Amino acid sequence: MSKSVIVENVYKKYKLYSKRSERMLDLLLPGKDYGEDFYALQNVSFDVEHGDIVGFVGVNGSGKSTLANIVAGVIPQTEGEVKLDGQASLIAVNAGLDKKLTGRENIELKLLMLGFNKTEIASMEEDIIEFSELGKFIDQPVKSYSSGMKSRLGFSISINIDPDILLIDEALSVGDKTFAQKSLDKMKEFKESGKTMFFVSHSIGQMKEFCEKILWLEFGEVKMYGDVNEVLPQYEEFLNHYKKMSKKEKKDFRKQALAKQSAKLE
Amino acid sequence: MRAGITVLMEQIKYFYLVRRLSVYELKSTTMNTYLGMAWELINPMIQISIFWFVFGYGIRQREPIEDVPFFQWMLAGIVVWFLINNGVLKGSKAIYSKIKMLSKMNFPMSVIPNYVIFSQLYPHLVLLLIVMVVLQFAGYPISVYYLQLPIYMFAVMALLFSISLITSTLSTIAQDVQMFLQSIMRMLLYLSPILWPPTRLPEWLQMVMMINPFYYIVEGYRQSLLGGEWFFIANWEYSLYFWSLVIVLFLFGSYLHVKFRRHFVDFL
Repeated sequence: MSKSVIVENVYKKYKLYSKRSERMLDLLLPGKDYGEDFYALQNVSFDVEHGDIVGFVGVNGSGKSTLANIVAGVIPQTEGEVKLDGQASLIAVNAGLDKKLTGRENIELKLLMLGFNKTEIASMEEDIIEFSELGKFIDQPVKSYSSGMKSRLGFSISINIDPDILLIDEALSVGDKTFAQKSLDKMKEFKESGKTMFFVSHSIGQMKEFCEKILWLEFGEVKMYGDVNEVLPQYEEFLNHYKKMSKKEKKDFRKQALAKQSAKLE
Repeated sequence: MRAGITVLMEQIKYFYLVRRLSVYELKSTTMNTYLGMAWELINPMIQISIFWFVFGYGIRQREPIEDVPFFQWMLAGIVVWFLINNGVLKGSKAIYSKIKMLSKMNFPMSVIPNYVIFSQLYPHLVLLLIVMVVLQFAGYPISVYYLQLPIYMFAVMALLFSISLITSTLSTIAQDVQMFLQSIMRMLLYLSPILWPPTRLPEWLQMVMMINPFYYIVEGYRQSLLGGEWFFIANWEYSLYFWSLVIVLFLFGSYLHVKFRRHFVDFL
């Protein structure tokens, strides 16, 4: 069985500039190096089988969302390779909606840009509207939506285009219980049909219920990757330990991490 | 050169998408006003009447230009200016204002400036139609010279797209470019033969003004609408210059665009 997603030695470097002029100089003078490096991801490698459900865990700033974005192809990696078997779709809170257009127009626009033709769009539109439970709000401009409504719309669109690989970035934490349940049911359907899914969430409960594998990121590096029952208990233990740290210890911990992330690992 | 071919192929392949997306673009910009798309016409009309008042009555005292009354002369040229102005300004904003929404879609990014410019073509066509009707009753009826209009329309779109490939890339890297363009465009309105005829200037200065490619477009429109001459044939050297410039801008723009497009998201 071929892999669904292969991530090989991915690095993501950001540049931190203290002044705007540094940014300009860095662009104009390619020979010299201006600004500080910051590695949001370092040497990340893992692979995923078809039908796996993988959760990304880690404390804030560990690079979970960055990794999800790279796998989805929204942002490019600095180094390394990401191979996907099929089409990936990222769901994040209000990702890619035109605030001035109505919900319905957003659906049409999004589907159009994904390459569907007129008849396909017309048939999918109704399903999406029904799933989103937006009712008559669907013909109101998106800027009048609450954050829950936006993520419901985004989620409904992404899930109905039937992607091969689905990445969900905290998008479920906004809807109410019933919508979250409905989404989970839909995702279980996906799971049964053998699709690959990624979860980024702080909710350990959801992870336990749903994921099969866990990728634990710590400051841009893979700390652990493996079965839920193997990784999650250790992550929980770490979290408890982290919570108990005094302010000073936490600060030191972060400082140490920052030092690690400012230079490339070999 | 290879980048140019890539970008060109992308435009042909995704032309259907350009057409469809441009409608949504127009909707999105006019959605929140009561008069909606009518503003795309009201705005130019207000500007035309002010220029007519200031330059026609105030400064020139209704002197005709080469036997053409000032109003008709200005109208035939200014009609394309609104397309040029909006095309340059919106085209250069295209990528950085849309990228959040459009990253990871199944089409190449070079389509973005194209459909933003294309969306400006609809109000232009309506305005052009109105101007044609006005000219009918103002002593310049439809003539065989109208046949050359599509050539200039294509020329202006090609020029705008080539320019926006450059400016949309640059303004994604540094948004100062947008500010700079705004002043340039304000200046170009006076440096193109729209509000006053440069024919009184010394010969060499006229030649300098003709470096501006919009000069070609505006004069072409004017000759078509007022029925003067087959402008692109009568001034074939100028046509040659214009198209060479478009090709150079297009190749340079494609090169820049293709070089940076993978990293647009990082620049924000």
